[in-house]
Amino acid sequence: MKILVPSKRVPDPDQRIRIAASGHAIEKDDLPFVLNPFDAISIEEALRIRDENRAGEDEGEVVVVGIGGAAYEKELRTAMAMGADRALLVECETAPDPWNVARILQAVVEREQPALILMGKQAVDDDSNQVGQFLAALLDWPQATFASKIEFDAGRVRVTRETDMGIETVSMELPAVITADLRLNEPRYASLPAIMKAKRKPVDRIDCADLGIAIEPRVRILEMEPLVSKRTCVQVSSGTELLARLRDEVGVL
Amino acid sequence: MRILVVLEHDERGLRLASRCALTLAREAAACSDGELELLVMGYEIGFVAQEAAAYAPVYCADLPGLQHCTADRAAKVIADAARDCGAGLVMGASTSWGKDCVGRAGGLLGGAMATDVTACAMRDGILAWRRAMFAGGVGAWIALEGDPLIVTALPSAFDPAEPGGEAGEVTQMEVEEATLPNQIRFESAGTKSGGRPDVTEAAIVVSGGRAIRNSDDYERLIGGLADQMGAGTGSSRALVDAGITPNELQVGQTGKIVAPDLYLAIGISGAVQHLAGMKNSKVVAAINSDPEAPIFEFADYGLVGDAYEIIPELIATLSDDG
Amino acid sequence: MMVEEPASVLALAVGNEPLTREVFGNIDSVSKVLFYCLATLSVVIFGWGIWRRVRLWRMGRPSKAKVDWRAALRGFWAKVMTQHTVRRSRRRAGIIHALMFWGFSVLFVGTILIGIEEYASLILGRGAHDPVIHKGLYFAIYEVALDLFGLFFLVGCLWFIRRRLRAAKTSIGHNALDWVVILSFLAIGVTGYFVEGLRIIREATPHPELSFVGFGVSKLLGGLGVNEANVDPVHLALWWVHALLVFGIIAAFPYTRLLHVIAGVINLVSTGKHLGQLEPVTLEELEETGKVGVERLEDLTRQQLLSLDACVSCGRCEDVCPAFEAGKPLSPRDVVQGLHQAMDALSPRSGEGESDAPGLHGEVIGAETLWSCTSCSACTEVCPLAVDPVRLIVDMRRFLIGEGGLSGPPAAALQKMQRSGNPWGLAKQDRFDWAEGLEVPTVVTNPGFEVLYWIGCAASYDRRAQKVARAVVKLLEIAGVNYATLGPEERCNGESARRMGDEFLFQELAGHNVETLARYEVRKVITHCPHCLNSLKKDYPQFGGDYEVMHHTQLLSQLVLDGRLKVDSEAELREGKRGRITYHDPCYLARVNGISEEPRRLIEAVRGPEALVEMERNRSGTACCGAGGGRMWFDDALDERVGGSRIREVVETGAQTVAVSCPFCLTMVGDGLAAKAPHMEVVDIAELLAEVIEEPGRSESTSM
Repeated sequence: MKILVPSKRVPDPDQRIRIAASGHAIEKDDLPFVLNPFDAISIEEALRIRDENRAGEDEGEVVVVGIGGAAYEKELRTAMAMGADRALLVECETAPDPWNVARILQAVVEREQPALILMGKQAVDDDSNQVGQFLAALLDWPQATFASKIEFDAGRVRVTRETDMGIETVSMELPAVITADLRLNEPRYASLPAIMKAKRKPVDRIDCADLGIAIEPRVRILEMEPLVSKRTCVQVSSGTELLARLRDEVGVL
Repeated sequence: MRILVVLEHDERGLRLASRCALTLAREAAACSDGELELLVMGYEIGFVAQEAAAYAPVYCADLPGLQHCTADRAAKVIADAARDCGAGLVMGASTSWGKDCVGRAGGLLGGAMATDVTACAMRDGILAWRRAMFAGGVGAWIALEGDPLIVTALPSAFDPAEPGGEAGEVTQMEVEEATLPNQIRFESAGTKSGGRPDVTEAAIVVSGGRAIRNSDDYERLIGGLADQMGAGTGSSRALVDAGITPNELQVGQTGKIVAPDLYLAIGISGAVQHLAGMKNSKVVAAINSDPEAPIFEFADYGLVGDAYEIIPELIATLSDDG
Repeated sequence: MMVEEPASVLALAVGNEPLTREVFGNIDSVSKVLFYCLATLSVVIFGWGIWRRVRLWRMGRPSKAKVDWRAALRGFWAKVMTQHTVRRSRRRAGIIHALMFWGFSVLFVGTILIGIEEYASLILGRGAHDPVIHKGLYFAIYEVALDLFGLFFLVGCLWFIRRRLRAAKTSIGHNALDWVVILSFLAIGVTGYFVEGLRIIREATPHPELSFVGFGVSKLLGGLGVNEANVDPVHLALWWVHALLVFGIIAAFPYTRLLHVIAGVINLVSTGKHLGQLEPVTLEELEETGKVGVERLEDLTRQQLLSLDACVSCGRCEDVCPAFEAGKPLSPRDVVQGLHQAMDALSPRSGEGESDAPGLHGEVIGAETLWSCTSCSACTEVCPLAVDPVRLIVDMRRFLIGEGGLSGPPAAALQKMQRSGNPWGLAKQDRFDWAEGLEVPTVVTNPGFEVLYWIGCAASYDRRAQKVARAVVKLLEIAGVNYATLGPEERCNGESARRMGDEFLFQELAGHNVETLARYEVRKVITHCPHCLNSLKKDYPQFGGDYEVMHHTQLLSQLVLDGRLKVDSEAELREGKRGRITYHDPCYLARVNGISEEPRRLIEAVRGPEALVEMERNRSGTACCGAGGGRMWFDDALDERVGGSRIREVVETGAQTVAVSCPFCLTMVGDGLAAKAPHMEVVDIAELLAEVIEEPGRSESTSM
């Protein structure tokens, strides 16, 4: 069974994000980039499905897809260092918004014909939480988002989902789109030796245009501003004052 | 511009989150000279439609097949309703269901979508939407280009709307059971154990440390305060070591990593291992009897005092406010 | 020929009647020939057995470290002949082993000397009673010595047999062949004396009482009716038994634990200072082999494979392992023996290429076992034969990391070290915030500095540990030390990454730090963290960093001695009322780097000579707090945590304060005590000193 794992290259979530001079992009200098943590979870799950032969099929293949520039190759190598079989880099001038990502992935799916698409529920840079759903709609495939457990049973896939109401279980026939949530698994650590070994695995490159996709932008960033700054502790004198401040100044409660 | 607002409900009626989305919808309507239409879907939801009608005209899709609104069905109904009423803006709440179903509907409707929106405004003649990026580290104003626009509102950013103006009509949508997609089969649903939001997902986390002396006190003070706030509960390693809280509640480098809007650190000293687990919280408020406690250097608000006195006060104040 | 009167021993030596005995007396030529044939056969079997082992050892990689053979020769005396390494732990067994060893050595040398006598005699055509060297005073000394040391040997055998039968100590590894060895030794010893006794009956020699044990035996046998008339066949028979036993042991040597005599001695003398040391892996090697670390036996070095044969399964390492004590699935002895058995199961290949050996991971050694280690090095330190289980474990961890065998919080810690330069993922821009308001000089603001104060991640980011840095800075200022810190340019030195097995992450961090330190021409470094100290001192030279590294207690102790830091007597009095204090030696300071006196001098300077309560496990015998080897980043429930027994030990001292000198210990002991003895205070030695230090310009009368 071929599992396609779309993944995204995002700034390390631990880092302080600074806004670039233009005001509508972030400063990328001296900023470490990593594989989106939710996508790492998806890769890990795909690897386990393949290696434990959960779907009951013999030959499994895990293909990681990235959309971006040449720098992306490092993250794709990391994915292959974890154990993915192959990577596909769709070279794109500017970072596409979720709609275009979904359209590009749709074209990739038509090429690759996977039985399952497993991806992170959201990317930790734009936090959109849209691509999986868009892709499922475009493909007219069933979807299961926020998966915390994936099981296979007689040609169907059963997904346990974590929602704000509780736990929900759905089942679908393949092919399907599943987006991964935090508690699905703990991804394995890919160290440098593994990344170097992964250099032998192939990274296919294809241009956006070759897929027949012309970007149709849907989202335009007008302005960005940093929200979290260094904390300066304001001492309050009573519980009541604390609640009042939280309500008025912060807007919580 | 017609604004179609997708409302969710439970057995009691409209969900609070949907009423918050209504507030954003009204703001958007004010900005763009729009009118609201509401969409409810489910099975035997006459009472929901009636409740919704107090806010604006309602489209109601009431079918057995919609009892469990899986994403494939919900998205189709939403997309169809949007087309039927010629909506220029489709709105929902950023709940799990909203992200799942309105998201898929967005894919059916051309993908001009923004999620977790916290405000809208006209900027230079364009309808702009505010949302957080980079796990809340960056606030952005964005514009959407397309037709229709699809937006989900972050419920905690809005007060729930109150019924107002004229009551609307309830129109039954023409949906045939047979045309509903059947790709996703609902199997079961269960509420989470404990009833409180998970500490990694909650918008507010109340967390207890060494100052809490036993499990009963933890439940009474930390749990009690959390329930007043609809928050999740967490603890430092010290309480887990002492057997007062289970391991699942541990926030820290070797426990859960959380990033709520508000993190209340009560009786927690602030060792770096704990910091590593909550450093991305938007606002940190600390209550500790030791004025030298390291946590104060890492908090936005600090209150020096005895947790056992302060927390009951807080609980009382909050429950009075209702 | 019987001598009528007892003449002096010396006189006999120079007189016409030689003080000697016949070699090979009563042994006919056929027996002699057979003897030599069998001797040759046993030596050949011995040699072949050794050769087989050598081929197994040669399956390994060549080691990078060069052996200092001169030092090895000196080490032969200092370590082997004195039996120092085996006597320093398990005192009684050590002494007994020493007796056995010395006994065996003397008997061995004695046999060689007899052999020399025999061949010299042959070459020079001497008769049976005309020895070349084996006479006179030499003979007298020889006989006494051999009987005495033979007795030591026998006593040793009996003592060890008794210990095995009592089976009280569970950590001693047992093996059926061990009984063959020890009983053979016993039999050889006993038959030897009996043969001697029979020889004395058989042949009247001057002063037979020189061979006092044999003499006693001869009297005993005489009493049983053995005399000159009937002794010959008995003597011959017993002589053969003795000879066959000896040949048997020689032949069996390489197949039993006796192999440690060769493998262990070589390993012991060729190992220099090895605590806290690891061998690097280069990127080229990684490219070549496609893997890092140890997956199969042949990935170990030849010296490591040799060390597997050195291990006698005594279990001293298991006795001191803090992970084993805490109930973790790790016993260093089992690790070594597991690898040893895997090696036994191999057929040696003389050439290159992959052997048919199965992978070690999972089959021989489990991942859980490997991750349990704190690298405290107690096992390496206590091993009498210089086996290094820590290095074996780290080498295997390297492979696991390379294969993605780590996930969860420890993996996250590694990722954060790489991306943020600290294991908590806190902003690297914040690294110098601890110094806010303190005017701490950096290499930029004070380029003429003499010594660099390396802060480390804990004191940079952990609020509790920051207080230690602030105390050190205060003391350095008062003493007028010309120092600087790297400020925000400092990055995690990667010590715990290296011990976790992520060698390349370590090299990445080290490379960066070496470059920074070189840029600022750093020569001398002080640090309050023993792990940073060890890494800068022993790891960094492998990557071009060469510094003189001191622990802060060493510098502070020197400053106090020099009078540059004075304890304010009134403050001391005030603080002294704080009661008794105990000191927890950090593993990486006291054991791995041998620094344990300076911290104590400082405590004495602050609290007076009577205040310190020593724990039983102190100095290099300290017990690990549980945080080393990357274990700090693992999640352990309180009762499963390594180091729990140390916390109990601290509490049992009854002291009010426990002093530490390592930020890991500060956290672990602090957390442990907070749960069990919240009234106890944990402080770093620098903090103790800073509290009572005389500050220049401050008025004396601060007390009420």
